[in-house]
Amino acid sequence: MKIEVNQVDKAFKKQRVLSQISLTTESGRIFCLLGASGSGKTTLLRIMMGAIAAENGTVMIGGTKVPNRELLAEMGYMPQNDALYEELSVWENLKFFAGLHQLNRNTFERNANELLQVVDLLPEKNKLVRDCSGGMKKRISLMVAMIHQPRLLLLDEPTVGVDPVLRRKIWDYLKQLKNDGITILITTHVMDEVTQCDDAALLRNGHIIARDTVANLISRTAGGNIEELFFMDGESEMEAALC
Amino acid sequence: MLSIVKRILGQIKNDKRSLGLLVFAPLLVLTLLYFILGDSNYLPRIAVYDLNEKFVTELEQHASVVELDAQPDVKDYLEENSSDALLWKDTGGLHLELLEQNSKAAAAQKAIQDTNKALQPAQSEMSIAYVYETADDNQLDSLSYVFLGVISFFFVFILSGMSFVQERFGQTLERMLMTPIRRTDVIGGYTLGYGLLSALQSVVIILFAVYVLKLQVAGSVGLCILVMILMAFSAVSIGALVSIFANNELQMVQFIPVVIIPQIFFSGLIPIDTIPFGLGNLCYVTPIYYGCTALEMIMIQGKGLLEIWPWLTGSVIFIGVLFFVNVLALKKYRRL
Repeated sequence: MKIEVNQVDKAFKKQRVLSQISLTTESGRIFCLLGASGSGKTTLLRIMMGAIAAENGTVMIGGTKVPNRELLAEMGYMPQNDALYEELSVWENLKFFAGLHQLNRNTFERNANELLQVVDLLPEKNKLVRDCSGGMKKRISLMVAMIHQPRLLLLDEPTVGVDPVLRRKIWDYLKQLKNDGITILITTHVMDEVTQCDDAALLRNGHIIARDTVANLISRTAGGNIEELFFMDGESEMEAALC
Repeated sequence: MLSIVKRILGQIKNDKRSLGLLVFAPLLVLTLLYFILGDSNYLPRIAVYDLNEKFVTELEQHASVVELDAQPDVKDYLEENSSDALLWKDTGGLHLELLEQNSKAAAAQKAIQDTNKALQPAQSEMSIAYVYETADDNQLDSLSYVFLGVISFFFVFILSGMSFVQERFGQTLERMLMTPIRRTDVIGGYTLGYGLLSALQSVVIILFAVYVLKLQVAGSVGLCILVMILMAFSAVSIGALVSIFANNELQMVQFIPVVIIPQIFFSGLIPIDTIPFGLGNLCYVTPIYYGCTALEMIMIQGKGLLEIWPWLTGSVIFIGVLFFVNVLALKKYRRL
C-alpha cells in the first residue's frame, strides 16, 4: 500500500511537534522513520493511522484519505509499549485481536501458528503474558500487529529490547513480508536498523532533514554512516540523543 | 463487541484476586455492617445523684446505674468514669447531662423514658405503628437498600474505572481502536462485559443478604436483582466516563470522593425533601438515587414492577446517556 503524507503540521499545546512533513513510500518497501526520542516519529505514525488529526495537510494510504475505519482492516499497528493483556495467555491475546478483525477460526489458527513459529513462541502459546519476559512480550506484540495479515505494517520501535539473534530473525521475517508485497513503516532511533530498510526519512525536531533511499542517504555521507547526516545539518546536540 | 466481552471474562478468570474482590469484598463489608448495625443490646451507663429509691430501682431494669453520694463536676465525671449520662434532681427539677449527642446518649435517654413510662403508665398511651415495618432493633434492615446499592455500585465503579485507565495507559485501548471495530462496539463490549460480572456480583450480594443475613425483602428478590444489575451497568458507565479525566490509577481513586460520596447522600440515607436549598433535586443526576429508591420500594414497601417502573426507566435512561457520552469521548483516541 502506498503511503502519501502531504505537508502535515501538528502541535500539542502550542508546542510544534511536526512541521510541513511530506513523504511518499511505494508498496512493498520497508520505510524507516529515523530520529531521536521526541523528534515526532510516533506522532507522525499516529496521524497516519488516524488516531490523531493533523492541523494541516493530508495522509493518503492506498489512495484512500485517512481517517478511514475500513482502512484499518488493512493496517497492522505495533505501539511502542507492548500493549498486551497481561492476564490473558499469548494465544488468547492473539485470538482477541483476531476477533476485532473478524478473522474466522481457521484463518486465525493458521496465521497464529505460523507467527508463533516465526517468533519461536509456539511452546509458550498458553503462557500468561504477565509471566513472559520483556523480549517475549515484544514478539507477542509484533504477532498481534500481523495476525490479520495486513497489507501495511506500522511498527513503532519494534526491536527495542530484543536480543540480536531474535532481532535478525524478525528482520528476516519483515523482509519476507516485504517480498510478499507488504509495505512496512518502522520508527527507530537505532542507526544500525536503517540499513535493513529500503527508504528512510530523518526526523529532527519535527522536521524532515533528509529523505531518500537508504543507499542514496549513505552515499551522501563521508564515512558511510547515516548518523553523519544529523551532524551535517549543524545540530551537535543530536549526538547525545541518538544511539 | 462479543470479542471484548469474552476478553473481559477471560481476564477476570485469570485474575482471581479481582474476581474475589468483586464478589467477596461486598459480602465482607455487608457482614461487618450486619454486626455493627444489627441487634444492639447496649446497656447505657447512667450515674444518678439524689434520686428516690423507687426510680433508681426501676431505672436499673433499663440501664447500668451508678449511685453517687455527692454531686460531681459533670464534665469531669462523665469524661473520667465512662458514664453515658448523669441524672440528678434539685429544686429546679430533674436534670440530665449527656457527654455528646450520639447513639449512647440516645440509649440513655430511652432508658430514662422507659423508666418514667413504667412508673407513670399513661391512661391512654399513644400507639405508634409504621405502614412499612422493619425490625426496629436492626438498623441494617431499615437501611439495607442503601447499603446494598452503594456497596455494589462502589466496587463495580472501581473495577471498571481502573480497567479503563489501564487500557488507556497500557496503550491497549489505542491498539484496539486501530482495528476496524466501531466505537459503539468498544463501549458496548465494555459495558456488557463488566455488566455481566456485576450481574454475578448482584446475584451473590442479594442472595447472601436475604438468605444468610436474613435481611427483610418485602417484595420480589428477582426484582431486587434486576435493579442491582441496572445499577451495576450505570456504575460501569460512570467508571468509564470518569477514567477519561484520570491520568493514572491514583487520580481515579481521588475521584471517588467526588463521584461516589455525594451520591450516597441521595441514596435514601437522608430523606431528599429534608435537604435544604433545593439541593435535593441533584438526586436526579445520580444513578444511585434511581437504584436505591427502587430497592427501597421493593425491599421495604413490597412494591412490584408496576410501581417501580419510573425508577427503572430513570436508570435505563442514565445508562443510555452515559453510553453515548462514552462513545463520543472515545473520539479522543480515534477520530472515526
